[in-house]
Amino acid sequence: MQPFEYAAPERLNDALERLASAAGETIVLGGGTAAVLLMKQDLIAPDTVIDLGRIPELQGIDAGPGGGLRIGGTCRLAELEESAAVRAAYPVIAQTAHRIGNVRVRSVATVGGNLVHADPAQDLPPVLMALGATATCVSRSGARRLALDEFFVGFMETAIRRDEILTEVEVPPLPPGLRATYVKFTPRSEDDYGTVNVACALVVEDGACRSATLVLGGVGATPQRIRSAEAHLTGHPLSEARIAEAARLAADEIEPWDDLRGSAGYKRAMARVWTARALLGLA
Amino acid sequence: MGEEAPGREIPIRLRVNGRNVEERIPTDTLLVDFLRTRLGLTGTKESCSVGVCGACTVLLDGRPVSSCLMLAVLAGNHDVWTVEGLTGRREEADPSGTLRRFADVQHAFLEQEGLQCGICTPGVIVSAYALLQKTPRPTNEQITNWMAGNLCRCTGYRSILRSIRAAAGLSPIGEPVEEDAGHGAEAGRPAEGKPRRSGAPGGSDAAV
Repeated sequence: MQPFEYAAPERLNDALERLASAAGETIVLGGGTAAVLLMKQDLIAPDTVIDLGRIPELQGIDAGPGGGLRIGGTCRLAELEESAAVRAAYPVIAQTAHRIGNVRVRSVATVGGNLVHADPAQDLPPVLMALGATATCVSRSGARRLALDEFFVGFMETAIRRDEILTEVEVPPLPPGLRATYVKFTPRSEDDYGTVNVACALVVEDGACRSATLVLGGVGATPQRIRSAEAHLTGHPLSEARIAEAARLAADEIEPWDDLRGSAGYKRAMARVWTARALLGLA
Repeated sequence: MGEEAPGREIPIRLRVNGRNVEERIPTDTLLVDFLRTRLGLTGTKESCSVGVCGACTVLLDGRPVSSCLMLAVLAGNHDVWTVEGLTGRREEADPSGTLRRFADVQHAFLEQEGLQCGICTPGVIVSAYALLQKTPRPTNEQITNWMAGNLCRCTGYRSILRSIRAAAGLSPIGEPVEEDAGHGAEAGRPAEGKPRRSGAPGGSDAAV
């Protein structure tokens, strides 16, 4: 690591101003758990660090417009895990937050930082994506609200621009009858990223699937919606055969690679197994 | 640390173990180095340096954090407690009598042999103390989930579990803990649900 200019503005406008005017490499910090790791390995060496931790506008969790959930960009993962409102209305989000990293990471790491870091094996992105969440990116020239499948564009790469700050995540109100789950296969250790992550949200009425969103993480450059499997499920009873075929479609569609959490072939096989398990759990 | 450019060394002000501290530091100083080398608080250990092992656990505003992953400047204006400070801390009033004193945790680890070589112990007991402040009578599942981020290569964890239960005033053993709890588990079941078999299909109770 090497020393950098450090700014801890107390208003969003000041942070945006500083971000637009800073020379050299600048990073915006939520809790810093991911960025400091990269800095310690000299993978990034910013000239300026802008700490968002003192900006009240970016904090907290509240009711979003239209009855959904608004999560501030610097909301800590532990807040998400513990929030009574989240646990009541979006239990899958609270339960997913509970499984991220370890308790010390969750004390510090932020929702905005988590999304912007964009490691494809992270837990929260597939779940938020399955629930139709959007991320709002703000610069001095205005705000853009991006669906998460537009937000993640490549391996650790997002659509956020250099002069933008992720200010909030909005999760829409969930339709009646929606069932959602997140499963994570961690063969190495409890606190590891998953080898395969599966998030799905289904609306089931009278045993038939009315709508389906299926997102796999850890098996490609970004969390990935599996539209072929979604289409295969929609409009049909959730029979074991239909679920097995949806899981096969998911395993076919992903593009995993070999890494320390498994070979591409292993991940593909496990994607099939864990997609089927997730869906059977909701059937 | 690299060479220092102007503006890259700044004053920070924070509370450490209940006392105000003001120091000028290079901006890339990590909290663990600040505590150990500036303040001489060497009870906090650095082991893995990547936030995984928990040896460097300190409390920031009452929550456990990895001081090896935290820039000291980010701790500015916050309240930090280390193992040294907690050892001598005068506990706040606790009319319900449920909160555990740090000394209770330390004694429980001695009595239940919750340590061997000791390198992880400061982080382990700071973490355990934070758990017991938040959850005075934790279940084994709550203990193992919370403590999963504190690695110990000697004890095999059973004696750590016993120690924390004893510190909480619970019987040393309690209900069985699943050997592989957490691996391949779902996030889709209610927190109060029964322990589930690892890898079992689930989530039917995750309707949202």
